[in-house]
Amino acid sequence: MTFGSVDRRRFIGTSALAGAAAATTVHPGRLRAEETVRIGFLAPLTGGVAAWGLPGLYGCEIWAEQKNAAGGVEIGGTSYNVEIVSYDNEYLPDKARTGAQKLISEDGVSFIEMLGGDTMPAVTPIANRAEMLVSTLLPSDLSPDTPFLVAPAEVHPIYNLTGVWWMAENMPEAKTAVICAQDDALGRPSVATYLAAFEAHGIEVKDTIFFDISTTDFAPVMTAMLAHKPDILCLDTAYAEFVNELCKQAFVQNYGGQIISCTADFYADIIANTSEEFMEGVIFQFPDFDDPALNSEDINFNDPNGFFEVYNERHPGQWGAVSWEYASILDLWLDGAQKAGSIEPAAVLGGMKQGGKGAHAFGEANWWGEELFGIDNALVGNWPVVQIQNGKAVIVEFKSIPEWWGEHSATMIKHFEAMGEMWYQRA
Amino acid sequence: MMGVVTYAIWLALIALSLAAAALSLDPQLGGPHRRWWWQGLALASAAVLALSPHVVTFSQQELLVFLTINTLVVVSYRLLALTGEFSLGHVVMMGFGAYASALLSKQLAIPVPLSIILAAGLTGLVAFVLAFPLFRMKGFYFLIGSFAAGETIRLLWKAFIGPKGISRIPGVPDIEIGAWEINFWEPVASYYLILVIAAVSIWILWRIEHSHVGLTFHAVHWRDQLAGAVGVNTWRTRTQALVLASFFAGLAGALLAHYITTVNPNRFAVHEMVFVLIWVIVGGTATIWGPIIGLVTLTAINEVLLRDIGYDELRPLFYGVLLVLAMLFLPNGLETLPARLVRHFRRAKLLASQR
Amino acid sequence: MDIAVFLQTCLNATYASSYLALVAVGLVLIFGVMRVVNFAHGELYMAGAYCLFWVFYQNELPFFAGVAVAVLVVAAVGLFLERTMFRPMKDNPLGGLICSIGALLVLQAGAVSLFGVRKKSFAGPYNEAVTLFGVDALTISGQRLVVIAFAVILLGALWAFLRKSRFGWALRAVAQDPEAAALQGISISRISMLAMVLGAALAGAAGALTATIVPTGPYMGHPVIIGAFIVIIVGGLGSLEGAIIASVLYAFTHTFVTTLFDGTIADITGLVLMLIVLVVRPHGLLGKPERA
Repeated sequence: MTFGSVDRRRFIGTSALAGAAAATTVHPGRLRAEETVRIGFLAPLTGGVAAWGLPGLYGCEIWAEQKNAAGGVEIGGTSYNVEIVSYDNEYLPDKARTGAQKLISEDGVSFIEMLGGDTMPAVTPIANRAEMLVSTLLPSDLSPDTPFLVAPAEVHPIYNLTGVWWMAENMPEAKTAVICAQDDALGRPSVATYLAAFEAHGIEVKDTIFFDISTTDFAPVMTAMLAHKPDILCLDTAYAEFVNELCKQAFVQNYGGQIISCTADFYADIIANTSEEFMEGVIFQFPDFDDPALNSEDINFNDPNGFFEVYNERHPGQWGAVSWEYASILDLWLDGAQKAGSIEPAAVLGGMKQGGKGAHAFGEANWWGEELFGIDNALVGNWPVVQIQNGKAVIVEFKSIPEWWGEHSATMIKHFEAMGEMWYQRA
Repeated sequence: MMGVVTYAIWLALIALSLAAAALSLDPQLGGPHRRWWWQGLALASAAVLALSPHVVTFSQQELLVFLTINTLVVVSYRLLALTGEFSLGHVVMMGFGAYASALLSKQLAIPVPLSIILAAGLTGLVAFVLAFPLFRMKGFYFLIGSFAAGETIRLLWKAFIGPKGISRIPGVPDIEIGAWEINFWEPVASYYLILVIAAVSIWILWRIEHSHVGLTFHAVHWRDQLAGAVGVNTWRTRTQALVLASFFAGLAGALLAHYITTVNPNRFAVHEMVFVLIWVIVGGTATIWGPIIGLVTLTAINEVLLRDIGYDELRPLFYGVLLVLAMLFLPNGLETLPARLVRHFRRAKLLASQR
Repeated sequence: MDIAVFLQTCLNATYASSYLALVAVGLVLIFGVMRVVNFAHGELYMAGAYCLFWVFYQNELPFFAGVAVAVLVVAAVGLFLERTMFRPMKDNPLGGLICSIGALLVLQAGAVSLFGVRKKSFAGPYNEAVTLFGVDALTISGQRLVVIAFAVILLGALWAFLRKSRFGWALRAVAQDPEAAALQGISISRISMLAMVLGAALAGAAGALTATIVPTGPYMGHPVIIGAFIVIIVGGLGSLEGAIIASVLYAFTHTFVTTLFDGTIADITGLVLMLIVLVVRPHGLLGKPERA
């Protein structure tokens, strides 16, 4: 990275946090890219939801830095430096709208990455008018009104079915489950997915318990769950710290059965909080990026092990799913831009969706979603099932979501409808 | 270049509201030419407000729209503050207007302009109902009681309408006059619309404050028991203030909902209420201009200056420090700044002449 | 609800009341003496939790060393806030409130820059489950027992201090009537300092004791301060006993409703109950009417 290529807005940050790292990457006489392509990062960076934005920004900065250090990215015969322009939307729709206007009309970005959720409905009309390509981490933002919005990293919560599927195949003795879920836009569609997957695989769900996201004490939640004496505790999609607290409570209240969860970030801490035996066999959906299975040919995330290492060195304790997801979307964007030979948003969208296939982080995937979201803008393919074995997260199998969908789509649609999560049901 | 113009506009807005506060606070200021000063100020304000959206950038136009909506929020908040009670439910009242207008226009297909007015009226009605339990309390009890009432309403939205709120709310319909078309999706058009509504509302609020009713507000604030003894019904007075304040908050909320086309419970959480409280108190409540000064200055700092410096994630740090400094040096609000400066210069001049 | 779930829920609620009481009593003390609505009190609690994280988890020192550091550091922060903001604002309650919001923003941003935005979840040393009285249903983590025990000890010590010592007597006198107390030769300035230091220290202790139980994050103070405000209002401003009684009532209601229904309904129930109490008794359970 040379001084001139450091983004003005980010300069203070990168120089303060990674002064040494930046210094080592300055090579006089290195190839300079001809042009700059700007990518907007419009997510909460302050406030209670910042944990879903800020760690992702760190990941994107590392991604851009690595690309720029290698002389930029080559699109349509021109080499570009990548510059990430961030705008803190504080997870508020009005600030997101202002931010989108600024990124599009003043910063001249070619693509905007967002967390989505509460902030998306205010940005969608702006993106549609400007024909600006936008990505979200929450596919529930997709609808037929969002032709320029893609959900290319994780099609939350659909992939959660892969864990249940694997569990049903490998642990046929587990027959009853209880689900607890945080009561928000993250937890509710996830419940629908788990309910569908459990039903499809003949597991009876005894109860579903919602808790508010301001909950700090999970003892009562766990007491209520364990009152049903389930074979399986399903923690749904919950914030990392909630998963941790729920596991601690299950441990303290002497639970001995199977646990399945969407995430288990910082699982090493959970093991320290409970015990290795207690956490042995827990199933979730997010691999460590030093997992050797990620070095396979069909994985599209560039150098996952190296990325994981740099990230942890620079931002210790901040790694989680969002750390790589925003960066993996940049890989997909780059692939689309290279296929289109242009950085024009509409062309990149065309490149991304060429032939109905896209280069997802976990392998080639299909553009899909019409039946659930009303538009084929979600990228689904294989998703890893991860299990804790001897205190370490291990990818036990990649399962194909399209294959499951072919067989059980009606069950999933039924539960999405019952939860009021189908695109045409949203208020 | 654009940046300089932007800062000039924000500084002009701050300066104009400071000048208005100075004139309001000091009845001697301007002497015999006082009327001219007011007229000049009004003209200058009109010119700056009319011009500003055309010289700033696109995203700054958005900021101006939200600034105008928030002006309505802070000015109406001050009306209740006049009676001596500070509420933590005002932003929920704003949200009530937003939700009501969204539902009326989307579910019942009521035309948007009508739904906005109905929503504001409904918000006033809800405030009237809430007044019965809330005005049994005073001071800090009222502060937290109003929070509890507001938070209950907000959690009910979350439980019954959903945590994602409502989206795809219809906007204010376009107006076509011959070949001339006004599209309120454009920030400039919405800005003028909301500016006119806010100006009329501020005028109404100003008239109320200086009417017989307004005088009782002040009386209830400063001499609660005395006012009661001379026949002022303190409960009724406070209820009037709460209902009026909530009406305008609901109006602001409805305008916001139709502009950004979405509402959700998080937007009206106590965190946002705290910002309203900050704007009003940092600005000062002695004049109607005080809350506006606080709003404009702090918005300029938080949304323009601190974002330009970069490093978004540290904005709350600077903002927090500035709040403390503002309160320590101007405990009665930014509105007292001109008077403080004038006094300071007079004293310096006096000292110089004595030497 | 069978008896096992009932007993377990009682235990959960006892824990919840104990740390809430620690936070709320400090808040009452500060309000009673200085008439400042300390919005930053939740962030003092948060600072206590991070102190423990720093001492116990990052530097691997004993748990109680972490608690002691938290108490000292947070008391010092409290003292700093009192000197720099609350004292100059002593006749301006709204100014004090805004200053405390400023302090809140600074403390949160400080935690983000020192420890990152993601929450920390780490285990305490007394993590194993303890079964009380040989009843299986009465199972609780040792860490929660520590919190309960400390809450009882600290609140008992505070009560004794306020009742028996000269300082305590002076402090209560100022809380009741600052002018009369000043006429009696009590230094309001010293008493304010004492109240702030004690209140902050209690918040710091609560934060440190619960840091291994709740997720430690920059915004962890928010739900705590809301609970504490509800509690001190229901109990009646200025009444320590009221705050403790209200903590128990609130925590039991909230915990039982969460177990029986869900967290959102529990929040709504807590708020509505509080409004009902205030309608019936506009000055809380044990509060006295404020003079105009």
